[in-house]
Amino acid sequence: MLRQSRHVQEYGPTAIIWAAATMVVVPFFWLMGDLLWNGWNHLSLSFLFSAPQNAGREGGIGPILMSTLLVVGVCMGVAVPIGLGTALFLSEYTRQDHALGRLIRASLDVLAGVPSIVFGLFGNALFCQALGLGFSILSGGLTLACMVLPILIRTVEESFRAISRDQRLSAAALGLSTPTTIRTILLPAAIPGLLVGGILGLGRAIAETAALIFTSGYVDRMPESLMDSGRTLAVHIYDLAMNVAGGNPNAYATALVLVGLLLIINLSSSWITTRWTSFNQLPA
Amino acid sequence: MSKISKMPTSRGPATVFLSCLLCVSALLGQVSAEAKEGKLVITGSSTMAPLVSEMGKRFESLHPGTRIDVQTGGSSRGIADAVNGLADIGMASRALKPQEKDLYGWVIAHDGITIILHKDNPIQTLTDDQIKDIYTGIITNWKTVGGLDAPITVVNKAEGRSTLELFLHYFTLSNRDIHAHVVIGDNEQGIKTVAGNPHAIGYVSIGTAQYDATHGIPIRLLPLQHIPATIETVRKGIFPLSRPLTLVTKFPPTGLLETFIDFAQSNQVNDLILKQYFVPIHE
Repeated sequence: MLRQSRHVQEYGPTAIIWAAATMVVVPFFWLMGDLLWNGWNHLSLSFLFSAPQNAGREGGIGPILMSTLLVVGVCMGVAVPIGLGTALFLSEYTRQDHALGRLIRASLDVLAGVPSIVFGLFGNALFCQALGLGFSILSGGLTLACMVLPILIRTVEESFRAISRDQRLSAAALGLSTPTTIRTILLPAAIPGLLVGGILGLGRAIAETAALIFTSGYVDRMPESLMDSGRTLAVHIYDLAMNVAGGNPNAYATALVLVGLLLIINLSSSWITTRWTSFNQLPA
Repeated sequence: MSKISKMPTSRGPATVFLSCLLCVSALLGQVSAEAKEGKLVITGSSTMAPLVSEMGKRFESLHPGTRIDVQTGGSSRGIADAVNGLADIGMASRALKPQEKDLYGWVIAHDGITIILHKDNPIQTLTDDQIKDIYTGIITNWKTVGGLDAPITVVNKAEGRSTLELFLHYFTLSNRDIHAHVVIGDNEQGIKTVAGNPHAIGYVSIGTAQYDATHGIPIRLLPLQHIPATIETVRKGIFPLSRPLTLVTKFPPTGLLETFIDFAQSNQVNDLILKQYFVPIHE
């Protein structure tokens, strides 16, 4: 009896933890399997490059892929410099209990929890209407940048804070100015954190529907400039699945492309991170 | 020190940034040169957006230099955008309401749905109450409504389909009230399900159903309130379970606006309308 309860005490938690971990993996494989099963047959090189036809039931996703890359490009092009600057301000130029710093952190935490449809309506009101950019890739990218900034800034700030104080003290002892310290010591050391923040932001941006349907819009023509409206992959999937009878096969194929894109971004960033850290590890 | 001298690699990202910004400003510069004329913005009903997009593409190819930008957001948004000038044309998948009479509505197609049974099912007609009772699970056997002694298979549409909304609205039901045995996505799937099961009942777009019924698929379209379910009755607007797909403008259309609305109401777009399973206004 005693032996048995011991047995349960020892193996019970192990079993529960294994079960929990397995349960996390199952949905991933289920989802990937479902996407591959339903979408793989419709995937081809011409699908990636040709224009959609008959409301997306036929044809490919060329213009949609292009719009997605442009929207995400604008988003990251705007969010990364601002995010990096704010993160440096929070970690290097102010103390942790600085009033402005605390205000920024609090507002970022609130923004991070705002639903994306609210960002969509905000973007529509500010960029499309007040600033007169209309339904455009630029409006979409800027709206996404607002949405991605909180997560980006907090991750990057943490990666700066994680750098040991000794390095900053040594730099100061050598007489290096703050900008030089940032450029030569802190930035290189924080690159992995920057990449993680970038990837988290990028992932959120590329999969976004609600924030984009009212900003970058629904037009599936090949964009000619950033002022053109452009439909992104996630919006296309949503439309095919919800509005277009018979659109499911191409919705699956498009979803497969989207997941593939995310996978490539994740893998390449982790590859860059490992390469970078093995190059720049300062001797202990 | 030697490690630190390697640091200039961090210039990489900075260079990438600068070139990104250059690209962006170059693209922006291009914009100002672009003429705003020849462009129409159309927003509204998500049901209509795929159809009007296709019409826009054909219109653009017939009138080089024009641009038809279609955005979605729902019928109410379409009407609001047309009123406050954000859009040149609004799309509403319903008739204009009495309080919207100062707007101009242009019907470009109809959307009608009909109840279908298997051809071997002897039932020729059902009342609205009987259909409601079948879908809510109160009537579960065909015998109750004068048919064979066989259990009814209820085929319902998946969440998010506009036909589902129209059906629920007409019978004043909520999707939770419905006791469905089969849940289907598009019209073709619904027709196949009913064609393969003599005891099934379903509802689909009339355009598709009539096409399939006349092409040998064993289904029967039931009348509603004694009005036969045909493309003709939907076109006339007398079939109860139908709605007009309407373009809405604030002013009487002129210029490009007029050309586009004329085009959307012409028989040049019939094939596009049929491909989206709607009913054209012309034969």
